[in-house]
This record gives sequence, C-alpha cells and structure tokens, in this order.
Amino acid sequence: MLRCAPLSEMMQNPPRASIIEDLEDLYENAPCGYLSLDPMGRIFKVNKTLCHWLGSAPEHLLGKRLGDLLNIAGRIFYETHIAPLLRMQGFFNEVALDLISQNGERLPVIANAAERRAADGSVISTRLTLLKAADRRRYEQGLLNARDQSRSSEAAARAILKDERETSQLREQFIAVLGHDLRNPLASIDAGARILLRRTKDETEVRVLQMMQTTVTRMSGLIDDVMDFARGRLGGGITLSRNANRPLEPVLAQVVDELRTTMPDRVIESDFRITDPVNCDRSRIGQMVSNLLVNALTHGFPDRPVKVGASTDHGMFELWVANSGEPIPDAAMVHLFQPFFRGQVRASLQGLGLGLHIASEIAKAHDGTLTVASTAEETRFTFRMRLRA
Amino acid sequence: MTLKARNNVHVRGRGAKAMLFAHGFGCDQNMWRFVAPAFETEFKTVLFDHVGAGGSDLSAYNPVKYSTLAGYADDVVELGQEFGLEGAVFVGHSVSAMIGILASIKAPGMFSRLVLVGPSARYIDDGDYKGGFSEAQIGELLEFLDINHMGWSAQMAPAIMGNPDRPELGEELTNSFCRTDPDIAKDFARVTFTSDNRSDLCNVKIPTLILQCSEDIIASAEVGTFVHHAIPGSRLVILDATGHCPNLSAPEEVIAAMRAFV
Repeated sequence: MLRCAPLSEMMQNPPRASIIEDLEDLYENAPCGYLSLDPMGRIFKVNKTLCHWLGSAPEHLLGKRLGDLLNIAGRIFYETHIAPLLRMQGFFNEVALDLISQNGERLPVIANAAERRAADGSVISTRLTLLKAADRRRYEQGLLNARDQSRSSEAAARAILKDERETSQLREQFIAVLGHDLRNPLASIDAGARILLRRTKDETEVRVLQMMQTTVTRMSGLIDDVMDFARGRLGGGITLSRNANRPLEPVLAQVVDELRTTMPDRVIESDFRITDPVNCDRSRIGQMVSNLLVNALTHGFPDRPVKVGASTDHGMFELWVANSGEPIPDAAMVHLFQPFFRGQVRASLQGLGLGLHIASEIAKAHDGTLTVASTAEETRFTFRMRLRA
Repeated sequence: MTLKARNNVHVRGRGAKAMLFAHGFGCDQNMWRFVAPAFETEFKTVLFDHVGAGGSDLSAYNPVKYSTLAGYADDVVELGQEFGLEGAVFVGHSVSAMIGILASIKAPGMFSRLVLVGPSARYIDDGDYKGGFSEAQIGELLEFLDINHMGWSAQMAPAIMGNPDRPELGEELTNSFCRTDPDIAKDFARVTFTSDNRSDLCNVKIPTLILQCSEDIIASAEVGTFVHHAIPGSRLVILDATGHCPNLSAPEEVIAAMRAFV
C-alpha cells in the first residue's frame, strides 16, 4: 500500500538536486526514435533507439531519405500527403507509418514531425519523433476489419430485405387485385338472389335466399377488410375523406339495421346521442362499427343482446360496442388488433382476423384510440376521438 | 449547384489569358499557394479542387463518373467553358497532368499550353515499361490509406470543407489540408495509380512543358522522360528540387521554369 510521506519528513528531505538529466543520453536512448532531415529531406542525425529498432548502424542511415526507410505504400502516402502537409503547416501529428528494418521486418510507428524554420521562413531542418505502434496498429486493423465486415454484412442484409420487401409487395398486390376481382361475381350472386326473392313465395326458398344474402354481405365485408389491409401494407394506409357537415347517426343506424336484417335471431340494442358534428370519414366509421358489431355477434353469447352506443360530449366523440361472453384472455389482449389474429376458441366461427385490425387502423387514421375492456360481465370496445382535428 | 461551388473555384489576378491550376492526388488547390500568386499580374489564375478533395462539394461525388480520369477531365472542360477559357495555360500536378492532357484533347482551343509537373502516364510496371510500382504495391497503398484515415470524422468534414477562405493554420485545421473522405481518397488513389494514358500522349497538339523533379519516387526521371518522348515537341526541364511536390518545396524554381515557357 502506498503511503504519503508526512509533510515534515518531506521538508527535511527535499528532492536531491544532484540528479541532472543527461541530455545526450536522453536523445540517444530515449524511449522513442529521433530523426532529423536536412532541407533536401536527407537524414543527417538519428538516435540510437531508432538505429536499434531498424538494426542499422547510424552511418548506414545518414544521407538516406525518409522514404528509403518506408514501405512503398508509406512512401507514396508520405510524398502525396505528409510532405505537402509538413511544408504547409510546418508540422504533422499522429501519422501512421511502416518502417522497414535492415532485415526486412515491418515496424509500425506513429510519427510526429516539426520543421525548424529560419526567420525568413526557409527550412533549417525537420525533426521527427517516432513511437512504436505495433499493438495499436493491430487494434486499428481489427477495427477496420470489423468495419469492413459490418459494411458487407449490412449490404447483404439490405439485399435480403429488399428482396423480401419486393416479394411481400407482390403478394399484397395480388391480394388487392384478387379482392377487387371477387367483388363482381359476388355482386352477381347478390343481384340474382334479390330477383329470385321477389318472385318466390316458397318459404324454404325465401330462407335459403335470405341466407345467401347474409353470406354475400359477410363476404363483401371480408373483401373490404382484405383490400383495406393490402392497401395499408402497400403504403397507402387508410385514407380518409372527413366531413363534419353531414350527419353520422344515419350511417351508424344503417349498419345496425343491415346486421339486424341479416341476423334476425340476434338482438342489437342501439343508443345514439350525437348532438355535435363529428369531423370524421362517415363510411370509415360505419365500417368500424360494422367490424366491431360482427366481432361482438361472433364472440358474444347468442342469447344475450349486443349493445352499441355513440355520443358526443366535452369535445369528444365516443363510440362503443359491448357484448356478454367469455372474457378475452390476457394473452390474447396483446395481439387483439394485429392482423390475422384469431382467438383460439371457436375458430370455425371466425373470419380472416382482419376486422379488429382494420377498426384500429381506422381509429388511428382519425387520431383517435380504440381500446378494449373485458370482464366476465362484459367485453366492451370503445373508440374515442376529438370532434375537431 | 454551381460549378464554382462544386469545384470550390477561386479566380484571381489580371490578364487576358487565363492559367488553370489543377492539384494532384493527396491535397487540394493549396498545393499551388506558393506558385499561383506569382502569375497573378499577367494572368487570370483559376484554382479549383477536384470533386472529393478539399473544399469541393462532396455531395457531387459520383463513384462511377470518377472511376476514370475522363470523369475528372470532363469537369476541367466544364470549368473551362464556364469560365470562358480560350488559349489558356493548363498547369497540372501529378495525376492532373494526365487529366489536363485528356481535357486538351477533348476541347481543342481551350488550352494553348500545358505545364505538367511530375507527370506519369502509367504508374504500374508493364513489360519493358517501368512505371515504378507493382500492382501489389498499389494494392498495399489502398490498404495503407485506411490506417491513416482513422482520424477522419464525417462530422468534422463540413467545418473544414465549408470554410471558404481557409484561414491559415488554425488549430482546428491541423492536418486538414490533406484530409479527405477515406472512401473517396481510396477511389482517387485507385484511379490515379491504375490508369494507363500512354496512348493519349501522342494526341497532345499543343506546346507542353514537363517539370521533372530529381529523386521523385512517385514519378521517376524515367517516367518523365517517357512522357517527354511521347509528346511531340514537348520540353523537359529537370528541376533540382527533390520529392514529388516541387510546387511546395521549390516554388521559385517551378515559377522560373514556367515563366520561361509561357
């Protein structure tokens, strides 16, 4: 353990003045190499340390140029970068050079240099200090290798990503086109069913045709979802055409009526109190409430009503859909709004798993929030947005 | 972006005739700071940085365009057109000697005289031709450049590059004269040291002065003599100056030789 000498002791034993630095020895045997160049760039003095490193006698080095001690790359670099730099600013610092020793070994060094100039600015000599830098060079080389490696692996990763993106874009374009093309045949089926409904009185036929219409409505909802999803993935996102001047309530009522018609055995209780204009895309909000209702009808107990409500209050618009049923498990909550997510139970009853995802995307597009609270009594989805953006 | 900004052009001096100074691989137009002023009384001097060097606009750097010396020569021709150069003197150091030759062939009339300081038509040995370097040695150089660019910082670049007047020797400018983006420096080294312009030399149609240093390890006397013999009617002057940059180490000698020629 180190201990400081007491102050009194230090006073009695001041540092001995008899040790004087031997400057000649300091120069010759310094822990660094010294080199002096004349104005023509020739070595006229060199210390023992450097001679020792190079394995050369001083007389072998005198008269040589610095370049003669360097590898070819170092020579080129010195002539093109370092010599001009030295001439322009009178010094250089921290230049990496490779000396070549008498027996051909490479000796990495870090060099500093300064010109000694006369009053008229002409060069008297140039002094160089050289420090061994083998470890440092190895370390730097390691850094450079790591950099090159990370560059090339990054480039490879980019290429893969680009490829994947293109593939996935193609796939999504395909989905969008497919969705679009499915609409026409579906419309034909719908029109056909309607014509037949007008003509027939047969009870069984009426029931079958009504079921067909329900299916058509459901299918076209699914197609809408798929196309919205593909559009979102393709970068278009959910686009809105907001209009605060047109009333929202009739749109919501129509969605509820349609579902009541297609599912006559289910009860949907609605409670709309929209007193202020809502600056929203009405058809998108309609799509959202439709998705939420279909979700509630799918997961709620069939013998219990599904409730839907909308209101404006304190500058906010709120829309909610609630059903009785098994509560949503915690594990499922996290993924609820992700695309293609379907609950584990009763998978056969469910669609593509896009409904809630699209609903949450519509909420986001309106700068609003779509949240869910699920207990044993009730599962309730609530959408909130500001009346004015 | 103007050409003036792209190439950090500085026009000085008086005179009907212009003298265009082009720097070589390594530094920038500062290379001419001891030479160009001597000609400002008789010439309009035009100094510039090649794209990628000094105060040029780095965003204009295009690795494809500048993968051949022709890309740099195109820039010289553009500058000549922009600044209305006719019958001008082209002064090119090192690799810019070849760039000037290409420009003079491409745009006849733009230059009436060429001054080539330390030219080499090819740096890599080829059969009987001794350029001075082997392919492996040039490869080693490209690697070596990386080691000395450890201190390069992209954040520092704008401060250094953006300084139009280059106030001398501020501490923050230490080592900055020859500081280049490492990737660009590598590219420039590659195009400089792997080019072969031997077949272009005989197409030079204007009076040409070759300034050859004694003991130049980049462009040896042999290489300079080759250029001299290949350019019809060229004049070769061997300087007492040693090294590769007489424009810095012996400006008076360079100025005197140029005066006798122009």
